[in-house]
Amino acid sequence: MNYNQTKVYLPLSQQKINLFILWKQMFCELIKSREIIWRLFLRDFIAGYKQSLLGFLWVIIMPLIMVASFIFLNRSGILNIGKTEIPYPVFALVGLSIWQLFASGLVSCTNSIVTSGGLITKINFPKESLVFSSIAQSLLEFTIRIAFLVIVFIVFNVYPSWKIIFLPLILIPLLLFTLGLGFLFSLLNVVIRDIANFVSLFVTFLLFITPVLYPQPSSRLFVIINKFNLPGILTTSARDIVITGSIPQLTSFIYASTLCLFIFVICWTIFHIVEPIVAEKF
Amino acid sequence: MQKNFKNMIDNNIAIKVDNVSKKFCKRLRYSIAYGLTDISKKILGISIESQKLRKNEFWALDDISFELKKGETLGIIGPNGAGKTTLLKLLSGIIMPDKGKIEVNGRVGALIELGAGFHPLLTGRENIYINGAILGMSKKEIDKKFDSIVDFADIGDFLDMPVKSYSSGMFVRLGFAVAIHSEPDILLIDEVLAVGDMNFRRKCYQRMLDLKKEKKTIVFVSHNLLLIKKLCQKSMLLDQGKMVFYDNTVLTVNNYISLQENRFSKEPLNGYRWGTGEAKIEYVKLSNIDNIVTDTFYNGENICITLGYNASKKIENPIFWICITDDEDNKISGTTTMQENVIIPYIMGKGEIKCIFKNISLCPGIYYIIAGIYGEDGEEPYDRFGRIAKFRIIEKTNQPLNPNFTGIFRPEVKWLTQDK
Repeated sequence: MNYNQTKVYLPLSQQKINLFILWKQMFCELIKSREIIWRLFLRDFIAGYKQSLLGFLWVIIMPLIMVASFIFLNRSGILNIGKTEIPYPVFALVGLSIWQLFASGLVSCTNSIVTSGGLITKINFPKESLVFSSIAQSLLEFTIRIAFLVIVFIVFNVYPSWKIIFLPLILIPLLLFTLGLGFLFSLLNVVIRDIANFVSLFVTFLLFITPVLYPQPSSRLFVIINKFNLPGILTTSARDIVITGSIPQLTSFIYASTLCLFIFVICWTIFHIVEPIVAEKF
Repeated sequence: MQKNFKNMIDNNIAIKVDNVSKKFCKRLRYSIAYGLTDISKKILGISIESQKLRKNEFWALDDISFELKKGETLGIIGPNGAGKTTLLKLLSGIIMPDKGKIEVNGRVGALIELGAGFHPLLTGRENIYINGAILGMSKKEIDKKFDSIVDFADIGDFLDMPVKSYSSGMFVRLGFAVAIHSEPDILLIDEVLAVGDMNFRRKCYQRMLDLKKEKKTIVFVSHNLLLIKKLCQKSMLLDQGKMVFYDNTVLTVNNYISLQENRFSKEPLNGYRWGTGEAKIEYVKLSNIDNIVTDTFYNGENICITLGYNASKKIENPIFWICITDDEDNKISGTTTMQENVIIPYIMGKGEIKCIFKNISLCPGIYYIIAGIYGEDGEEPYDRFGRIAKFRIIEKTNQPLNPNFTGIFRPEVKWLTQDK
């Protein structure tokens, strides 16, 4: 890191924005701040479960409870989930694990800036690292869930398609989408704290209209709504790769992925432009 | 936002501040609205009119300009709310100016709050690495300096205990140790050292002197005028966001003291008073050797204090008490009639009593008077009146306010030289 550089601080209104220089800058800063991201990630990782009894078990308890209650509702005839190709618990747990990557990732990204308010107002450091370390945290939790899924697969004697090796690739658009929205919401959350509540409500609502806990229904309304459900498309595609080894809605997936890339770049750029005035808005 | 300008400013200059202003919002509701409009305007590429004040906004800093060469030490003093911390935050790039331009040349270390990034549940060891990374150190760098950091912080066995079990002194020591080891070229220090104990403060002071010798640039905010005078050649006096004075530290400190004094003389005394009320002090009068009523005395002059009292009943053997205090209510010199073997058989109705402090030997400054009337036993007062009056001591020969004296007591001093 070259520290012998001259930094110039200007009012935001006088800063000229050249997108290409900006993108280069953002990228360089990301490379430079990998140490911070790693340390922040470690901090949350160690601190997160230090004073808890069950520790990382919480990561799998939540989807387990969720799936268990759906099984209960199904058995008691309140809900009619319908037939799934593989045993329902496996189907739902795979989908939910992927969905949680988006849901908990978005929630923790949204809160990342606000919870580090004390730090931001006292030390000048790249604030992107807070968002990146939050998503890294969610990725870690996802990995734990995957490890748990291996046990589930064995117990139910079901085996995933070999194409599961493409899963990391398929997850990239979902991650970009989560990060993008996370950048935007974390900024807004600084100014209006309602955003955090709104986001957690929003992801819960989205979960219920997304075919994750139930197979895709054929109702026209449902299909139309889910055409616009980006995280839904990405999650179900990733799940289908694991379970069947193919993506039935491949075109939707490609469209959604492209859109996610744009969302990510735009939101990150916005974040980087607005970042310098974040500290004073606390 | 940081932009890299190569060789744009003279390499000898560490900090250059040009007409910088910063505004803040007084109301939360408005600041939310302004925050949203600012952010959305910025995103949409509409220019933000940061030059003008909107409703409920005020200038926290107004038109500040100065230049600091490499290796110089600048002190910033001023009353509370003058904008000192805001200026440090601007210099460290935590907040952006609304007007003007700041150029900073070199790695900046800002000690605005020590241990700001510490996580209470993590151990000291873990926190050193996290805080170090946030301050811009690599793992290698921290590994190399780890022992030195622990040594400086002097936390002993607590290194592997969660930070939440630390005493506030230990917390601050660790914070300072990490920050100082990030080896900044420019060190910005807010009033953070006040928390540590004497030993630690001495260590910090020593470290700052070392940094000064290493030609590091230091900007130092403190209310400790003595420390400022020792550390900084140049100082800046801020008051209500404006740079009132910027010069040699001694002159700036003088200015600061007279600013505070002017405020003082306008302020009411706010005396506090208790007692049974059977006898009351009605007035106090200060006069000089020529019997002229005044509140300004030369050092070495006699101060004549006249107390006017009113006793509602006959009080036998009352004791009068007069005490001089400094502006922090530390008692400097007190006397009672009993101590001076003055016996007053009784008081009843109105009367006056005089007390002369001869050849007062005090350093220039503002002093206060406490007066009281006590009974024979000296316990429950009839009337005890704190800050009943105040006076100013000035130096006869020197300039009216010379803060270069150390201490409070200032007898007549003669220096004699002898050649051998």
